[in-house]
Amino acid sequence: MMNPLRDAWQSIVRRDPLSTDKGKSELVFLNVWLHIHPAKVKKDNLKVKHTFYLGFITFFLFLILVTTGVALMFYYRPHPPQAYQDMKDLQFVVYLGSFLRNMHRWSAHGMVICVFLHMCRVFYTGSYKRPRQFNWVIGVVLFLLTLGLSFTGYLLPWDQLAYWAITVGTNIGSYAPLVGARVRELLLGGHTVGESALLRFYVLHVAVLPAVMTLLTMVHFWRVRKDGGLSRPVWKLKPEKAARLVTIGASDTIAPLTAVPASKDKTYGLMEVVTGKPIFETVSMEEEEDTVFSYPYAFFREGVALLATVATVMAVSMFWKAPLEELANPAKTPNPAKAPWYFLGLQELVSHSALLGGVVVPALAVLALILIPYVDLNPSRRPADRKWAIRAFTLFVVVNVVLIVVGTLFRGPGWAWVPPWVHITGAE
Amino acid sequence: MKRRSFFSWGTAGLVALCSAISVSLGAVVRFLTPSVFYEPPQSFKIGNPADFSFGPPTFLAEEKIFVFRDREKGFAVANAVCTHLGCTVGYFQSDQRFHCPCHGSVFNAEGVVQYGPAPRPLEWFEVTLTRDGQLKVDKDQAVPASYRLMVS
Ligand code: HEM
Ligand code: FES
Repeated sequence: MMNPLRDAWQSIVRRDPLSTDKGKSELVFLNVWLHIHPAKVKKDNLKVKHTFYLGFITFFLFLILVTTGVALMFYYRPHPPQAYQDMKDLQFVVYLGSFLRNMHRWSAHGMVICVFLHMCRVFYTGSYKRPRQFNWVIGVVLFLLTLGLSFTGYLLPWDQLAYWAITVGTNIGSYAPLVGARVRELLLGGHTVGESALLRFYVLHVAVLPAVMTLLTMVHFWRVRKDGGLSRPVWKLKPEKAARLVTIGASDTIAPLTAVPASKDKTYGLMEVVTGKPIFETVSMEEEEDTVFSYPYAFFREGVALLATVATVMAVSMFWKAPLEELANPAKTPNPAKAPWYFLGLQELVSHSALLGGVVVPALAVLALILIPYVDLNPSRRPADRKWAIRAFTLFVVVNVVLIVVGTLFRGPGWAWVPPWVHITGAE
Repeated sequence: MKRRSFFSWGTAGLVALCSAISVSLGAVVRFLTPSVFYEPPQSFKIGNPADFSFGPPTFLAEEKIFVFRDREKGFAVANAVCTHLGCTVGYFQSDQRFHCPCHGSVFNAEGVVQYGPAPRPLEWFEVTLTRDGQLKVDKDQAVPASYRLMVS
């Protein structure tokens, strides 16, 4: 007799028991959430020192942001001055309101940091090189979207900090030649930061940008798989074979398959019989032995990263409060009026020249980031072979960090040079 | 199908697609452009001349303007919005200059940039006397810094 409970269970979970290899593979590819993983992964790709799991942590922070963000939406009205009152309510009246707001705020900051570190990891391991060039470009767009989400979210509390950061921020945009003023008008739905601006930022923040972010994240993950899984850790690259791509299939002159020398190597590629050259990396026999099932090895590590991320955000949110200043006052500019910290490098540049610092330099920086994989044609991923690329990128990172530190800590009233250890009394 | 006719159909289709996309994009941009701005009017009355004292300028917070009244020269109205990135400047009687809190631009009493990243001098607005004897400021009418309204 059939056990009806077991029957019901098997109607949901159709795989073999997890004690079998078949069960372990089926867990991955019969499950819609897990099948983005390969059934087996290279053991070394799981090493923390290869990826630091920064991409995952960024993604988990995004999940926290969506969850807490939806919770906040139940108590938030995007209209001045109610928006500010709702913030106060969240802070003092709503059960867990302040905690959720803190979590949302600190995850947002964390996401900006982690997405940047993830980009650095990808750069230093040379993982943007063929065939992953385009995933790097998608990554740059994800980075910009992260900044866009932070920026639009920044206005929503409608306090002094929010109001003036967005006033200054959107005015930077209006220095862009020809379209600048028009773009600003579209973004604000007016000529000053007012109720239309708040509503527009809200819609962008809770609907448009998260949707685009979600879609592009899916593309990003899909591409990681289709580009042959994670790149090999640099310490696994052998000097001679470094980043060599093996291609199989037919060219016009050679008959398909027969021309490929017999080998034990496996190539993952298109599963259909087609002509043309796939671009995937070949897995040699010795590496095949280095692979493990995603279940439990990869899932366990990702689970740990998820738990650690959530736990850290919760702990930070218990002890540190998200700031909330006075109600926005268009007549009175706080002194100094600072943008969110990740834009303070930009503000520092802007304090010297709005057009150069606010438009030309950032536009060129983004363009340069996008072009990296197409300009850096050095096929080797080994650090020893790419000293100049590493130096140039490090310079970029250092300049960014220095500018942000200067803007955050060393600028006082009137944007004058004030080191953090000097205390100004009576500054207004 | 002949090659020629395939080509022209393909081209026609492409042209149609591109036009459809551009028209839709135009419609989106137009949709996002407000037809009415619910913003404070650009031209407004600020009260009777007698409401304003001589000496330091009066700051009108709502309108973001400074009203100067000078014994010999009369009335002048300066924009309090910094020409750099839109922060509200303050007028300091001590050195008779405007200071911007955001990136440290300094403007002299005529609004001319003396220091900092501001690219242009502060704006001056036309101020006129209405029939009922009130002062009226028009933010759409920029005037030179030397502009004065004499009120006897
Ligand atoms: C919302 C932002 C982002 C999320 C959620 C995300 C997520 C991920 C994840 C989960 C991985 C798998 C491996 C890992 O943990 O490193 C990955 C790989 C990768 N990411 Fe991102 N990423 C984001 C932004 C970026 C940015 C800004 C760049 C570069 C400009 C980038 C470029 C890449 C590339 C090229 C890979 C493949 C690396 C390899 O094969 O070793 N991603 N990303
Ligand atoms: S906004 Fe006045 S100096 Fe930047």
